[in-house]
Amino acid sequence: MAAAARPLVSVQPLPASLNDMATDHVTTVALPDVMKASIRPDIVNFVHSNISKNSRQPYAVSKKAGHQTSAESWGTGRAVSRIPRVSGGGTHRAGQGAFGNMCRGGRMFAPTKTWRRWHRKVNVNQKRYAVVSAIAASSIPSLVMARGHRVESVPEMPLVISDSAESIEKTSTAIKVLKEIGAYPDAEKAKDSQAIRPGKGKMRNRRYISRKGPLIVYGTEGAKLVKAFRNIPGVDVANVERLNLLKLAPGGHLGRFVIWTKSAIEKLDSIYGSFEKCSEKKQGYVLPRSKMVNADLARIINSDEVQSVVKPIKKEIKRASLKKNPLKNLNVMLKLNPYAKTARRMALLAEAERVKSKKEKLDKKRKPVSKEELAAAKAAGKAWYKTMISDSDYTEFENFTKWLGVSQ
Amino acid sequence: MATVPGQLIWEMVKKNNSFLVKQFGRGTASLRFSKESNNLYNLNSYKHSGLANKKTVSIQAAGKDQAVVLATSKTKKQNKPAALFHKSVMKKEFRRMAKAVENQVEGNYYRPDLKKAALARLSAVHRSLKVAKSGVKKSKRQALKIRV
Repeated sequence: MAAAARPLVSVQPLPASLNDMATDHVTTVALPDVMKASIRPDIVNFVHSNISKNSRQPYAVSKKAGHQTSAESWGTGRAVSRIPRVSGGGTHRAGQGAFGNMCRGGRMFAPTKTWRRWHRKVNVNQKRYAVVSAIAASSIPSLVMARGHRVESVPEMPLVISDSAESIEKTSTAIKVLKEIGAYPDAEKAKDSQAIRPGKGKMRNRRYISRKGPLIVYGTEGAKLVKAFRNIPGVDVANVERLNLLKLAPGGHLGRFVIWTKSAIEKLDSIYGSFEKCSEKKQGYVLPRSKMVNADLARIINSDEVQSVVKPIKKEIKRASLKKNPLKNLNVMLKLNPYAKTARRMALLAEAERVKSKKEKLDKKRKPVSKEELAAAKAAGKAWYKTMISDSDYTEFENFTKWLGVSQ
Repeated sequence: MATVPGQLIWEMVKKNNSFLVKQFGRGTASLRFSKESNNLYNLNSYKHSGLANKKTVSIQAAGKDQAVVLATSKTKKQNKPAALFHKSVMKKEFRRMAKAVENQVEGNYYRPDLKKAALARLSAVHRSLKVAKSGVKKSKRQALKIRV
């Protein structure tokens, strides 16, 4: 699997007024491989919801609640329902129902117990996968913006600032730094969003809510910047060696705006390793492989390798035509049998002929015969008779002379 | 970062992002709008999304009246949000602006599928600027309401 080229990320210098190292010019750092890991919102969501269960404090109802009575059922026959009723007398409480979840003053259904399974175990590899995904997502401007951070004026993602930031002591300088690198709008958004929580959480020590701002990740232990940045509303600080998924993907949503210091980003490589090289800090851990190395579908489809093998686009779409009956529809018949045209024509002509000749015959028959024709017909008949006689052998016999007539 | 772009980001972002507005319609039939600035129709869809595409076009009203900002995003600078957009403020008369928008979007094959959307948005923004300038007019036919 190819480790793609590692682009360079430039380190934003801090203004000279803030530090002694006025000579640090723009340096660059190679993008750590973690940022190329596959982004898996499903894993992050799963791990996040399980990890956030781990800091829960148990709650339960008192185990004696609802049972501190010596109630007994009155049984049947007393025109009251059969639930246990409080014994004794002289007070309102006497005779009231007890023990049931439906009774006033009774115990609840399924009283909550402290031994409920509050914490969840998550596989170490899954936890690491989630953190790695979250780190990768934090370097994509679209995802960070989609999560709601105001990063329009950030010069580069991932945002790396020089190590001189680690020695900032005053919060006022911290704010100035944020302004310089374009991260201030995000912090401002967090500050403006401070509000009182709607709902009962108000009364339960969760009075205020606000948005999350940038997360500052530093590399060296005991850096002073922790104290400088921590009081800014919305801003969180974290050491690279101990990155928390709950901070990297708050609410289970990928894409927190992260500001790295130069030493932090350089450490990332040794902490998480690369796709082939094992991590140094996490024994035997290699970055997770993605299902598709190149997930840019558009580019794959339009690439030469694919296009050269692909059939050309069918611009004309042949649609199913309505079936027409050839016996009724001449044109369709002709498509199937071209001879049909001449055959039909012949048939029609023959028909016309027949009709015509029949008509003529009938006309002729119906027409009264003229005298000449009549005479001619009669004479022809006589002549034929004569030929019959002469042809036949009957003339030789004397017996037939009567029939045959006199003339021969 | 090889933003395995477009498709991957869209899959992650389409259901849930900070710009998503699901207000109108009933229940699951509601329309999904998107409040990003790079979205021409403000619809939550892959084609129009300002988050999932490398090349986006955005048309907004600029501060001064009658001026419109046309911004296209540069493909090479995906990692640098501050330097991502190629902004230009246009203050010409409408037909000229329309020509400019068309050239930028379709003329150089930037995003020809967005041409209609861009022009539509231009006219909408322009009209709203005109209205903003001259105040919302009451229709002449509207009878005066007598308030007790």
